[in-house]
Amino acid sequence: MEYNKENEELINNDIQDTSNDKVLNKKDLNKMVWRSLLLQSSFNYERMQGGGWTYSIIPGLKKIHKNKKDLSNALQDHMQFFNTHPFLITFIQGVILAMEENKEKRETIRGIKVALMGPLGGIGDALFWLTLLPITGGIAASLSSEGNVAGPLLFLIAFNIVHFGLRFFLMHYGYGMGTKAISMLKEGTKKVSRAASIVGLTVVGALVASYINLRLDWTIQAGEIPVDIQGEVIDAIMPGLLPLLYTVFCYWLLKKGKSPLALIGMTIVVGLAGSLLGIM
Amino acid sequence: MLMEALLIGLWAGIAGIDQFNGLTHIHRPIVTGAIIGLILGDLKLGLMAGATLELVWAGMVPLAGAQPPNVVIGGVIGTAFAILTNQDPAVAVGVAVPFAVAAQAIITLIFTGFSPLMHKMDEHAKQANTDGIDRLNYLQPILLFAFFFIIAFLPIFFGAEQAANIVNMLPEWLINGLSVAGGIMPAIGFAMLLNIMFKWVYAPFFAIGFVAVAYGNLPILAIAIVGVAIAAYDYFNQNNTKLKVAGHSNVSIDDEEDYSDGI
Repeated sequence: MEYNKENEELINNDIQDTSNDKVLNKKDLNKMVWRSLLLQSSFNYERMQGGGWTYSIIPGLKKIHKNKKDLSNALQDHMQFFNTHPFLITFIQGVILAMEENKEKRETIRGIKVALMGPLGGIGDALFWLTLLPITGGIAASLSSEGNVAGPLLFLIAFNIVHFGLRFFLMHYGYGMGTKAISMLKEGTKKVSRAASIVGLTVVGALVASYINLRLDWTIQAGEIPVDIQGEVIDAIMPGLLPLLYTVFCYWLLKKGKSPLALIGMTIVVGLAGSLLGIM
Repeated sequence: MLMEALLIGLWAGIAGIDQFNGLTHIHRPIVTGAIIGLILGDLKLGLMAGATLELVWAGMVPLAGAQPPNVVIGGVIGTAFAILTNQDPAVAVGVAVPFAVAAQAIITLIFTGFSPLMHKMDEHAKQANTDGIDRLNYLQPILLFAFFFIIAFLPIFFGAEQAANIVNMLPEWLINGLSVAGGIMPAIGFAMLLNIMFKWVYAPFFAIGFVAVAYGNLPILAIAIVGVAIAAYDYFNQNNTKLKVAGHSNVSIDDEEDYSDGI
């Protein structure tokens, strides 16, 4: 019960200190670029980068939210599930910090954050893991294979010029863009937060279908015929059915007042049981 | 061999941190090969082994959270054994496989084990205790260092076969079970997110996003664009509705305008 009460507060919170002066300077933003290097420092399967994301913007949040209740609300909000490409995170930092600074509604900030993280994850994979890394690695490998020490040096220099260049550029670009977007959307914060929630929920729906890996590896003999439960039964009813059901079940348990820790325990039991029975 | 094993362990630990934090990519085989070569006194062979192993791992990239066989341990042990046993690196990497798998298993353990820790962070967040959050965020890199150090140290110091016996003591059902659990766990994260974000008026949009991936296999970017399109439609439509309502309450001329708009 306790748990849900806290969250009701988080949903309906009003910002107590609404002064929206510009408090962040270039130095603050650069500091948070360095912090972004620890985005995955508390990576886990439940929230993924949530903890590291919060860590990365703490100096900004502290400067923006002088009111302790506001700071606490912001921190709790940012501790939620977060996952994106680690090189593009500074763009989201910039946008979100501009919004926090302007004391936008929590609902709007949340929606925009979720809406940005999903697509940037996919774009980052394509740009860096599938393009930058193979190119720099491939060129370096051809040098190294002749015993040339320039291979690894060139690799590190080329890779990190792009890497760190983007990190710093995207932070300031994101912050500038966030500031501009806010001034454009001044009218009707309610409508803006509704729009942000629509995009956010659409992306969350997509994430539920793509991020949760819950499939049965279970074949039963129906007479002579082997039936693949996942492929021939569950997927035929609806692909992604199990991830959806499990998420809804967890949601329902949270509403019932169960703690997330209990849900983690339950999930570990499910995983171990599925593994022992050989059906997962 | 102790000194070399310690140095190799040290490098594996640093590279293990870099694989997840910092991401300067000193953990790639192309760099690691050269360092291991220096430690074992054969830079040239190290460079060449690193080049081969870099290409072996070129296609294995972490996409959407799925982790391939561990590149750090593969690069470190693969290069070390290529030099120590004077083998072709592409063959020597075979020696590294059980350790790369063990490293992946331990990473799974750590990533599962850190889920409960998030709730400690939540408490700090509630108290607005930013130092508490900072401290917890430094914990995992230290653990990663320790584990990568041990996994790289064992085969160099004890020899591959004996070390493989130690590493294989990790019970498979446990590792497999935890990795299954890890795969399901984002569901809890999403449930918590929905607990905050979800309202019944937004349910249709959640459904659209879900169906677009489950049935349509669309990339997230495509779905985000659809989401933005719907939000924009909704945003401007709200304007119109308000104007119409205002129109109706005024005079009848506005009604005619409404008709002409409709046609």
